[in-house]
Amino acid sequence: MTDTATIEDGDANVDQSRKEAYFTAGQGQLIWARFKKQRAAMVGAAVLIILVLSGMFASFLTPYDPTIEGRNPDYQNGAPNIPKFWDENGFSFRPFIYTFERTRSIETNFRWVTKVNKDKRRYVVLFPEGDKYTMLGITFRTHLFGVDQGKIHLFGTDATGKDIYSRTFHAINTSLAVGTIGVLIAFVLALIIGGVSGYYGGWIDSVLQMITDAVRTIPAIPLFMALAAFIPDTWSSETRFFFISIILGFIGWPTLARRVRTHLLTERNQEYVLAAQLCGASAGHVIRRHLLPSFTSYIIVDLIISFPYMVLSETALSFIGLGLKEPVNSLGVMLQNVTKADVLLNYQWNFIPVIFFIILVLAFVFVGDGLRDAADPYADTKK
Amino acid sequence: MTSPLISVKDLTLRFKTDEGLVTAVNNVSFDIAPGEVLGLVGESGSGKSVTAKALMMLNAENSVYDDSSHITLSLDGEDIEVLSLKRPKDQMVIRGGAISMIFQEPMASFAPAITIGDQMVEQLMIHSDMTPAQAKEISIEMLTRVGIPEPAQRFGQYAFEFSGGMRQRAMIAMALSTKPRLLIADEPTTALDVTIQAQVIDLMKDLVDEFHMSILFITHDLGVIAQTADRVAVMYLGNLVETGTVRQVINSPAHPYTRGLLNSLPKLDDLEAPLTPVPGDIPSPLDRPSGCVFHTRCVESGAIAERCRTQIPVYTSDSANHQVSCHLATQGDES
Amino acid sequence: MFHFLQFAATRAMLAVITLVMVSFIVFSLMEMVPGDCAERYLAFKNTQGSQISVADIDAERVRLGLDKPYIVRWGKWIVDAFQGDYGDSCILRLNIAQLLGEKFWISLAICLTSLLVAYLIAIPVGIISATSKSPVVNNSLRFVSYLGLAMPNFLLALMIMLFSTVVFGDSLTGLFSKEFRDAAWSYERVKDFLSRAWLPVFILGWSATAFAIQTVRALMSDEVGKLYVLAASARGVTGRRLLWRYPARHSLGPIINSLGFDLNRIFNELPIVALILTLTEAGSLLIEALARSNDQQLAGAIIFLLTASIVGINFVTDIILALTDPRVRRSILG
Repeated sequence: MTDTATIEDGDANVDQSRKEAYFTAGQGQLIWARFKKQRAAMVGAAVLIILVLSGMFASFLTPYDPTIEGRNPDYQNGAPNIPKFWDENGFSFRPFIYTFERTRSIETNFRWVTKVNKDKRRYVVLFPEGDKYTMLGITFRTHLFGVDQGKIHLFGTDATGKDIYSRTFHAINTSLAVGTIGVLIAFVLALIIGGVSGYYGGWIDSVLQMITDAVRTIPAIPLFMALAAFIPDTWSSETRFFFISIILGFIGWPTLARRVRTHLLTERNQEYVLAAQLCGASAGHVIRRHLLPSFTSYIIVDLIISFPYMVLSETALSFIGLGLKEPVNSLGVMLQNVTKADVLLNYQWNFIPVIFFIILVLAFVFVGDGLRDAADPYADTKK
Repeated sequence: MTSPLISVKDLTLRFKTDEGLVTAVNNVSFDIAPGEVLGLVGESGSGKSVTAKALMMLNAENSVYDDSSHITLSLDGEDIEVLSLKRPKDQMVIRGGAISMIFQEPMASFAPAITIGDQMVEQLMIHSDMTPAQAKEISIEMLTRVGIPEPAQRFGQYAFEFSGGMRQRAMIAMALSTKPRLLIADEPTTALDVTIQAQVIDLMKDLVDEFHMSILFITHDLGVIAQTADRVAVMYLGNLVETGTVRQVINSPAHPYTRGLLNSLPKLDDLEAPLTPVPGDIPSPLDRPSGCVFHTRCVESGAIAERCRTQIPVYTSDSANHQVSCHLATQGDES
Repeated sequence: MFHFLQFAATRAMLAVITLVMVSFIVFSLMEMVPGDCAERYLAFKNTQGSQISVADIDAERVRLGLDKPYIVRWGKWIVDAFQGDYGDSCILRLNIAQLLGEKFWISLAICLTSLLVAYLIAIPVGIISATSKSPVVNNSLRFVSYLGLAMPNFLLALMIMLFSTVVFGDSLTGLFSKEFRDAAWSYERVKDFLSRAWLPVFILGWSATAFAIQTVRALMSDEVGKLYVLAASARGVTGRRLLWRYPARHSLGPIINSLGFDLNRIFNELPIVALILTLTEAGSLLIEALARSNDQQLAGAIIFLLTASIVGINFVTDIILALTDPRVRRSILG
């Protein structure tokens, strides 16, 4: 749409239908159109979708059960197996890995030592039957890939032989689930408290604000720790999971509530609200059709941006042992043993999941930023 | 004829945007003589502010000036080509030096956390060799001159402590403290109520006499122009459509748009008469009409409508230096 | 002057009220722990081999004053807390104030330093990035701030440990070398401390800096677009003077306002970083208190202290804001 015509012919070759489309588009469509233009945000969104889907279909995409059930007792603290196509013994269309044999003898001081046997190849197969898993209530056995004998560990294994690759994807799923519940709870609380505070104003607002500020001042992680430490050990890991999510939500609401309240306070005095009231609109109607849509975009942006904090908070908690525990699996749980010296020195592949999580958080941040720029109707066209 | 103070020739200005190059000002030419008040009239979106800012090179980074554009400032016998001033040191002369600008929103144009006095002294010291004490003296003098009571006390106050009309006066005082040759007033009275408007206009007229200064008075209010200006230029969608003395343009407007503007004013002597606005809306700058830029709203084009749609009218001048850009008007001359 | 004192007093009052509410929340949480101090201590002694009866537990309760009603206990706790006395820890039976000792002040010093460093870096960088048109500057700054946001401090600490262990064969842990750990303060101890303290300051400052850069940049971008900047430019003010005296000066307010919240964020990251780096100060002490021993007295005291610091900072920044914002200053001083 650059202006290449000369002045005599008139500027801009925007055709009529596009103009109409622009002026009659709904709010969502406008935001999407602006969002699409930002490359970083689109990349982030794509990455996010891929990660979310991988998490949801983790059981299928990964070869083994992420818990103790799926561990490989013969290959503990094992290095990653990278499939090869070619070695001294020849070329193969099918990727393969080597067999690892564990031996123990007097020479090794009776410690288990794994040796590579380059002559015994294990070929990668697609869609093998493997550990059982359930999705949507149906039990499946097929996984995306595996090996014809033994097990393949693309990211290596941890101290008990659990496959890190499988655990990574399940961990993504768990963290996303915890984050979602936490964000939803925070959102509902913020909407109620911030909404009441902002809509009614006056002394209700003052009181609620003081409470909100008091809660907001308390540093969250120490508070987390205080709350999480009091979970009885007798609770099942699922109950723990929900409890952690609820704690996260309860601590996340003050900031969001403040945004809702500030926005409502300014908006309810705007002239378009007055105009609606003069037309006879009820309070409910004003809130639903006028006030809420005016800050839906901001709220959505806030939700998306608070997601990574939830995920990271849960990771931190689990890391110090106060969050989720086995068999529920998350990045924090996976990192629990990682500060030991021998892990740092010898088993660095334990850190591979960290990369995935950084990518996940970055994706959220990019999308959140992009959405914020796209949703703001007053943002200037940048150059 | 004395040589003009500032001479604008074929000014064309475009902005780089996401939608492409948008033309904001299109082939505009006008002169301002020393001591003259030129009114620049037009609707919002007509390009008046952009034109004015061009005189001080204040437009945004994404503005593109055509190579054929020229703005010449004649200062003490020397001609300065404004558009070629690139370095901040050179631009000093058009910013606060020989040319000053006052804005529509006086509250917004003062820095909130710096006193009025500090801002005035700063400007003086940038443009001259004065000591702070001298600058303070001159500033207080200017404040007195524009009619602000207790100027010494006001000197140390902040913008939020002034009332609306006083703020506007303070802004005028600040703009004039460097004794500029040209004052650009960008809608200075639009945000004021009518009584204060009258005071400010009187003040400006006095100052013109006293300082022998020119004013480029930008407004959409024809009534204010009638009172204040010597000559007036009418802009529409980035084009200059008519220029002439106030008498010429208001008593015998040559362009259909000017006629439409004058007709749309409510008539105080005939309260029953219906209001007659100019039909339609100003087109978006992304969508400039072909040919004559006004043809989409012109009710007078009639028989020559086709010509108006396809050909751009030439800016012609009659013997009394009344200029217009209109096929209808020139056709009348031809016949 | 009187008005100013009045203003300061009001703010102080509000701070105290906030602290009281916080203490209420903290105290209630401490109470929610199943089993109280008496049971816990005696259970602990039980594992040591002594026989405990229910009567013993009751006696212990009375001794600790745990049989008094909730409000009374809370009242006593808050009054003591304001005087710096937090009673004895449940399990360790040591006076908490003594236990915390200088650890709290060291933690606070580290956190405040991180905050200071963060803004020392962020203010010039943020100002430059808001006004720079060069895509290189803009993109690299965006990248750096994203990295700061995405890589949480404890992951960074882990990575650093990984790196230093693999490359240098030494994981840089601990705030003091062994010799100086419990020694009295001396020049040598300070040097030792500084040589090791830079690491937690760096790690904590990492995301604080990223946040601060974003904040400064956003504020500056907003201010730069305002009319008074154009007006100043129209008067001939240029270059650095234009930048600092106009938009930068006016962005100061919101930045000062956010300091309390920034400190809150740093406090959030402290415990875990402290754990990873095995720093022996209040942050990791907190983890010990909560995770290992369920000592809610200690935990409550620490949380209270942390929050009190934040409330304190908020009070100070309120006062500073009042002094630097002319509108507020005029209304206070008259």
